[in-house]
Amino acid sequence: MSELNYIGKSFRRKDGPDKVTGRAVYSQDVKLPGTLIGRILRSPHPHARIVRIDTSKAQALPGVKAVITVDDTKGIKHGFVETPRYPPDQEVLARGRVVYVGEEIAADAAIDHMTAQEALDLIEVDYEIQPAVFDPVEAMKPDAPQIHPTHPKAEVPYSNVSGRTSTQWGDVEAGFAESDYVREDRFESHLRTHGYLEPQATIANWENDRLNVWTSSMGAFIKRAKLAKTLDLPYSAVRIHKTYVGGTFGGKIDLYSHEYCAARLSMLTRRPVRIVATREEIFSAYRHGQPLAMEIKTGVKKDGTIVAQQLRIINNSGGYRGSGVVVIFLAWGFTMIPYRIPNLKYEGLSVYTNHTTRAPQRGHGCPQIRFAIESQLDRIAEDLGIDPVTIRLRNAREPWEELPNGDNVHEAGLIDCIKVAAKKSDFLNKYGKGRKATGTIRRGIGMGVSGYFGGSLIYPNGSGVIVKMNDDGTPTVLTGGIDVGQGSETVISQIVAEELAVNIDDVKIISSDTDVTPQDIGAWISGMTYVTGNAARQAAGNARQKMLDLAALRFNADVANLRVKDKVIFNQRDPSQRMTYREIIAYSIATRRGDTIIGEGFWRTMRDTPTHPSLATTKGRWTENYAYSCQVAEVDVDIETGEARLVRALTVHDCGFPINPALVKGQIDGQISMALGHAFLEEVITKDGFTLNPTWLDYRMPTIHEMAASDDADVITEEYVVGKPYRTKEVGEGLVSGILAAIANAVYDATGARLTSTPFTPEKILKATRKIARDARGRQ
Amino acid sequence: MSGAAAKPRIRSRIIEISVNGERHEISVKPRHTLVEVLRENIGLTGTKDGCEQGVCGACTVLLDGHPTLACITLAVECDGKEVSTVEGLARGQVFSAIQQAFLDQGAVQCGFCTPGMLMSITALLEKNSKPTVPEIKKALEGNLCRCTGYNAIVAAVQQASGQDDVKPVMQ
Amino acid sequence: MIDFDFDHERPGTLAEAAKLLDRHGSGGRIMAGGTDLLPNMRVNILQPTTLISLSEIKAEAPKRDAAGTIRIDALTRLAAIADSALIKKNLPLLAESARVVGSNQIREMGTLGGNLCQETRCLYLNQRHDYQFVAPCFKRGGTCCYPFPQNKPDTCWSVYMSDVAPALIALDAEIETVGKSGVRRIAIVDLFTGSGLTPLSLDHDEIVSAVIVPPQPKDAGFGYHKSARRGGLEFAMAVMAARLRIAADRKTCTDVRIAIGAVRERPVRLLAAERVLAGAALDDASIAAAVTAALEELKPLPHHGFTKSYIVDNVRVYLRRVLKSAGGDKSGGVDLA
Repeated sequence: MSELNYIGKSFRRKDGPDKVTGRAVYSQDVKLPGTLIGRILRSPHPHARIVRIDTSKAQALPGVKAVITVDDTKGIKHGFVETPRYPPDQEVLARGRVVYVGEEIAADAAIDHMTAQEALDLIEVDYEIQPAVFDPVEAMKPDAPQIHPTHPKAEVPYSNVSGRTSTQWGDVEAGFAESDYVREDRFESHLRTHGYLEPQATIANWENDRLNVWTSSMGAFIKRAKLAKTLDLPYSAVRIHKTYVGGTFGGKIDLYSHEYCAARLSMLTRRPVRIVATREEIFSAYRHGQPLAMEIKTGVKKDGTIVAQQLRIINNSGGYRGSGVVVIFLAWGFTMIPYRIPNLKYEGLSVYTNHTTRAPQRGHGCPQIRFAIESQLDRIAEDLGIDPVTIRLRNAREPWEELPNGDNVHEAGLIDCIKVAAKKSDFLNKYGKGRKATGTIRRGIGMGVSGYFGGSLIYPNGSGVIVKMNDDGTPTVLTGGIDVGQGSETVISQIVAEELAVNIDDVKIISSDTDVTPQDIGAWISGMTYVTGNAARQAAGNARQKMLDLAALRFNADVANLRVKDKVIFNQRDPSQRMTYREIIAYSIATRRGDTIIGEGFWRTMRDTPTHPSLATTKGRWTENYAYSCQVAEVDVDIETGEARLVRALTVHDCGFPINPALVKGQIDGQISMALGHAFLEEVITKDGFTLNPTWLDYRMPTIHEMAASDDADVITEEYVVGKPYRTKEVGEGLVSGILAAIANAVYDATGARLTSTPFTPEKILKATRKIARDARGRQ
Repeated sequence: MSGAAAKPRIRSRIIEISVNGERHEISVKPRHTLVEVLRENIGLTGTKDGCEQGVCGACTVLLDGHPTLACITLAVECDGKEVSTVEGLARGQVFSAIQQAFLDQGAVQCGFCTPGMLMSITALLEKNSKPTVPEIKKALEGNLCRCTGYNAIVAAVQQASGQDDVKPVMQ
Repeated sequence: MIDFDFDHERPGTLAEAAKLLDRHGSGGRIMAGGTDLLPNMRVNILQPTTLISLSEIKAEAPKRDAAGTIRIDALTRLAAIADSALIKKNLPLLAESARVVGSNQIREMGTLGGNLCQETRCLYLNQRHDYQFVAPCFKRGGTCCYPFPQNKPDTCWSVYMSDVAPALIALDAEIETVGKSGVRRIAIVDLFTGSGLTPLSLDHDEIVSAVIVPPQPKDAGFGYHKSARRGGLEFAMAVMAARLRIAADRKTCTDVRIAIGAVRERPVRLLAAERVLAGAALDDASIAAAVTAALEELKPLPHHGFTKSYIVDNVRVYLRRVLKSAGGDKSGGVDLA
């Protein structure tokens, strides 16, 4: 096997120079002459009927070029999910009613920001306020205010249910009956938000019967599809241009009203229209993550082996369906990936409330569910007198196990992840010490296991890549893949450089432009490295093969004896037979009627499965790429004040093999930071549907002070061979989960306080430790 | 907010600011912030507007050498002053030590916080050529990052200041 | 963006600035660093017609006279105070309090006077009200209070959150102001009215010109703690400062000053707590009694997502640690840097 020159090495980011010099152009930075500024009118009520809208005074204001309401649209709905069971349910502007504070009612475009703002104030809206409901359990009651009818196929006697996922295998009742130990717990994960640094920003320009759009997103092709559909334009009339993207984390996939409005206003005014959301709008009216309430009942044998598990998950879905019906499916998935569960019964309900619609947030249900399951598992272990490492090893899936949905876990590295994590963190020596300590600061250690999927089928389902050779022998790569910070352009460059034996600096990437680049799955399904990467591999290999075949003809040699290195093809049997890429391309053009050597490649997950599994029943194959991890957290808790902090995190994961180890480390560190925010600091505080803390002062995203030491190790389970498909697993989302669970368990280890709801505020910790102290005194 | 009272007709005024050593004469109203003027009037979009509230630090520039939040600085207050932005850090093709260190340490992911970070760090290293980790954190507590978890950024500052034998992790 | 127009003047002296304030009436507003004013203007809490900027006026360096009194120009940047060798040596409590304000950028931009004159804050107040909390609250000149609907129009429970004010109270500082009637001095506690609606006692044309700190008792010890969820950037949940001196007998406390900020409409000097310690031996029992007295006298307001009961729990622990630190016990982790 020949040595790899690029794969597995930490090459500097391709887009790094642009970013450190300020040259990188984000959507807000695009300048077009004559640009108008757009603003959105938002609902001040959580639930109301719109009796009357009058935009005439706004339209008459000098400097205002257009004002639109839903009557100026085609009335075509969109949704995160668009399936026969869950058809699109949201209009781009409110029609007749509003169901959350901040819902978009109208938009205007004017010569400057002040005029656009003034015009909003001149739009007259009469509302008839309706009773509102904010808690999902309340919303499910028969007499709750009806936000939308319960889904007819949900078959539940509750109100406001947007969707239901229900599945089972084995016989849980029999399973519980034969278990040696059963426990039931309830957990809650709260409302948090993405906190991307770059605001939502869109500039749209309708010109020559085509729409040009620059928007901050996670996938140019999904945005094109949704924009084109709602505007009733053919896809070919809509171009999503490449822009740099300043962080997304799940919050920039959906079609946002302001994107539609910028486009529609541009079509009406025939001028570019820019709409940038303020940070307050983002924190109060845009989409947040999914708060889940989780009831879990688990039965085990006395050695800790899981026999049966029953789960009921309720999602607070907000005013429209959003991705709520996906998170209740995923919560099932993230339950069954890491451990064997012989008997399972699962029900998930996504419930409408008068809150903003929800979006996926990094991990999309995985952090919440692993926090719950791993907390309960630790409890079970302690009650049975088993240590946290042993109980996990007993239940962990092994390589090549078949999952209940028919998928296979392939080279699942979970067992090694657990073993390595336990060893590296010296877990068993440290565990159990915190509660016995006497000082003010108690240190605890905790473990969390997780599994994630890498790539799955959702529109546009597959990625294509083109590698076109320039006649000097360097390649230009056309990929629809979008770099949102994760480093996809760099990874693709490494793959192409390796496959084509060119210098990485020779590789030019053109990305994420729906006119120029092939279709791509986007950076939101945790599959870019696997899917787009394999497409790039194939395209580069395709170009390489064309050149090799031609050289074989030219040398009259067996193509199996030809090698490539540094843009040269040579015959290893007779090194005097050599041609540079430049020469072979010239030869191709000359002798093959102008063939300029273009390589094409494509890939999708699930080669033979036509579509994604059923969200409602979970039936069907899901993915061929499962990633596993075991993470360990060490926390310090001030026992007098309840203040806690993450001190150290260890992440052991089986990413398959890392294409760029430093980029993998970057993903891990970012997820540790996000998890500690979830655990201790961040909370979108709402009251009666209003957001109280729409600023970073009071939405407490971690600052540099909160960073913890972060170590990692990978368990290599796959390998890269030039010319062959490879399997890497995802690292961008799943690693928020195990560490969140580990933090919960570490807090317990430090204090004896078992917290069942996030965030683990000082108040909650103090309350729990006081109760423990009271109970101890009571027993004396 | 359209008031009934007569609005004063506020005239624009000419200010002269030097940005990365280049003099600009621009016409501004008092309400225009430095970040608007840099990005719109002067056309340097490297300085980012992340929150408009003076919290996230993405708009950090140096005003007469001092780290300043351009989103809550009025342009009229900068008349006669020297502004340094991210576009002025490199000398032609040659990156400053901290820019290079960001590339070497993987301290850039989405890049949106990067310009502000680089300016805060540039000011720090001017004042303190070998900052300790607590000093680095204090200097950067007003620069939020959601992607990197900050560890690589600290390593970049240490590399740029020749400390703790921190070697590049990327090639 | 600020979405209304205003005028902008830059007088060369404070006296001129005071005249301008007088001339422009309620539409005129002073700006120093602008770090409190501009965000408030952006959310339309304040809509001045004319900003009177003090940025042309050069701040004098902090100086100490022969008696040991230290005078600090109100226009001194917070970063300069935190870094000043003179202040770190003589008034470490002040240096520490300046050091923890906001972020590095805020400290570089913001001034001492501006920090003391900051507006009170409340989650409902510090937002634009385009579609949330549209009806103005009492502080905004309206007819309701969102967090405390039972409050009357004269009662606003927005909290005053300066990190520096409690330190200056503990140091017995005075404020010097310049106005159309001339120069005057007041004790720092008298700068504050205790009303969330109009937190400062200054006349409209008065400008804080300096902070004057008397010489501190020889061998005085200090303690300071800012309770916050994150290690920097944000305002305090509660911020505590203390000074005390152990007399020659090695046990009796004298010169006790205890102050707390961010939990009421003004920073509060905890007189009852001071009385417990004054003349008493400093030990665990007296400290505990002082803390109990402090919590009885102080009724903290819940604010910014913090509950009253947790604020009390947090203050109970940290005030104890601050007092111990002031008494020379550095084990509580609340040392001055």
